[in-house]
Amino acid sequence: MSDTLTMALPHQNTARMAFDALYRQTADDVFAYVLSLLRDRSASEDVTAAVYERAYRKRSGFKPDRGTERAWLFGIARNAALDELRRRSRTAALVVEPDDPGASAAFDAAHDDTEAVDRRATVRAALATLEPRDRELVALKFQAGLTNVEIAGVLRISEANAGTRIHRAVTKLREACS
Amino acid sequence: MTRHQNTTDELDPAVAAELDALERALTGEPGADPVLSELVREVRADIPAFDGPARASLDARVEAGFPRGGRDGTTGFLARLKPSGPLFRPALSLAAVAVLGLAVTTVALNGTGGGDVGGSALSSVAEDSSVPESTGAATAGDAAPPAPGAAAQQQALEDSTASRESAAPNAAIAPTPPTGSVGALAGRRRVERSAQLSLTTKPEDVQGVSDGVIRTVQALGGVVASSRISIAPDGGESFFELQLPTSKLDRAIAQLSKLASVSGLTQDSQDITGSFVSVADRLQDARDERAALLKALSRAQTDRQVSSLRARIADSRTRIASAQADLQRLKNRTDKATVALTVTGDPTAGDPAGKGEDEGGAWTPGDALRDAGRVLEVAAGVAVVGAAVLLPLGLLALLGHGAARVTRRRARERTLDATA
Repeated sequence: MSDTLTMALPHQNTARMAFDALYRQTADDVFAYVLSLLRDRSASEDVTAAVYERAYRKRSGFKPDRGTERAWLFGIARNAALDELRRRSRTAALVVEPDDPGASAAFDAAHDDTEAVDRRATVRAALATLEPRDRELVALKFQAGLTNVEIAGVLRISEANAGTRIHRAVTKLREACS
Repeated sequence: MTRHQNTTDELDPAVAAELDALERALTGEPGADPVLSELVREVRADIPAFDGPARASLDARVEAGFPRGGRDGTTGFLARLKPSGPLFRPALSLAAVAVLGLAVTTVALNGTGGGDVGGSALSSVAEDSSVPESTGAATAGDAAPPAPGAAAQQQALEDSTASRESAAPNAAIAPTPPTGSVGALAGRRRVERSAQLSLTTKPEDVQGVSDGVIRTVQALGGVVASSRISIAPDGGESFFELQLPTSKLDRAIAQLSKLASVSGLTQDSQDITGSFVSVADRLQDARDERAALLKALSRAQTDRQVSSLRARIADSRTRIASAQADLQRLKNRTDKATVALTVTGDPTAGDPAGKGEDEGGAWTPGDALRDAGRVLEVAAGVAVVGAAVLLPLGLLALLGHGAARVTRRRARERTLDATA
């Protein structure tokens, strides 16, 4: 968005356009992160929608001095996903939607060679063996692309603690892949 | 901030170095660890896409700015206030606190009488000490104990069922017929009442207060028997001897006390029932004697007898007149109460308790200022009482809110661990 456009638009429109831009930049990442926590595509779609609606309603409460917009948004996403997990754990046992190996295999076969398919399957299996907290860190770091500071903000821990945890999760992932 | 700035000095150097290597792999820098780069590439290749109808629907809602509107048609603020809405609990808590605060404030205000303390208290003293059983004195600061039996006794004796203020004094000064029966007189208490009231006001207000005294006395049907007013720049004093209907003495003292600050109040009462009965008996005896003499005169047969009886009748008539005069004097003493009132000018005098409310004078801007100050005082009192209630409740609510947040956060973390 150009500065000229920002200055010319009323505040309400500017804020909406800024939110729209944030949505387009982060929708896939937020969905992937929520899916890594819930492991249920349908529920993740609903939660992702709820995350953006909540963020839209509370956008005036965002304080830039307390972190980036992405960290704020992923914090909302984390709370929403964990609340969904809690709700589901109260009503029924968590039903994890099984991965669709056929679809992944077909996608892999269409785009990669056999060796690449094997490598991807190995990584996928390694990710599945990680503990939820480690899998969450991998999602935030590898898929969402958050910095360590942003991850610390999302998890409400110190930056050093976040770095240590990330290092530990990556080490486990590498060991699981080897 | 670049990704290379993520690590801090608190990290172990080896960990920090490996994190730096990871950052280089994530950013695709040349020379990055090939194994890490491969790992990053494979993980990212497996990112699920957010597409399909759900994505299209969310795109549309974002585009429209998430228009409000529940599935049941309820929209906006009302929807959020529904039991399932996000504002329901806060609104319920707020309403509960408001109701509680209102109730406590109302109780507190009722408990303290809501104001006009000075006037009410003074009136109470005056009324309680209205008709003591025996002769005594009462001051504003040290009121004589009221006679518990006096009011009841007078009420029982009173023929009418008028209000207490008028009934009690009326019992003392109820008009008796000139030929009243001794039995009726003996059954009533005859009390003579008087009061000495000292008021203090600012020197410049002595004249105004004195005028208020005269207006008040006239309004109550009394008279100023004598008065002396001296005005001086640094003081001034006025003295009044007032005569008021005894039935209105209490009201008069209450109203006069509002004209200025009360520096002294003494009330005297003297039971003269005995004297009243004695004179009434004497009158009755004289009348009986006269009747007997008249009867004897009608039966007299000689001139000497007639002459003697007439002389005795004349003597009896004189005694009857004397007794009637004595009775009337006593009645006057109980009908009228005397008040000795002194108004003293004092530069250090404060404002009267109820000045401007009921002294019968004009309502001045000064009165308006005083009323405004009083309103502010009451408002401040209400605010203090409200704060005394709401502050602890607010602190409790704050603590509860904080505890709920911590609990919810821990529950979320447990949920994540439980999915392992």
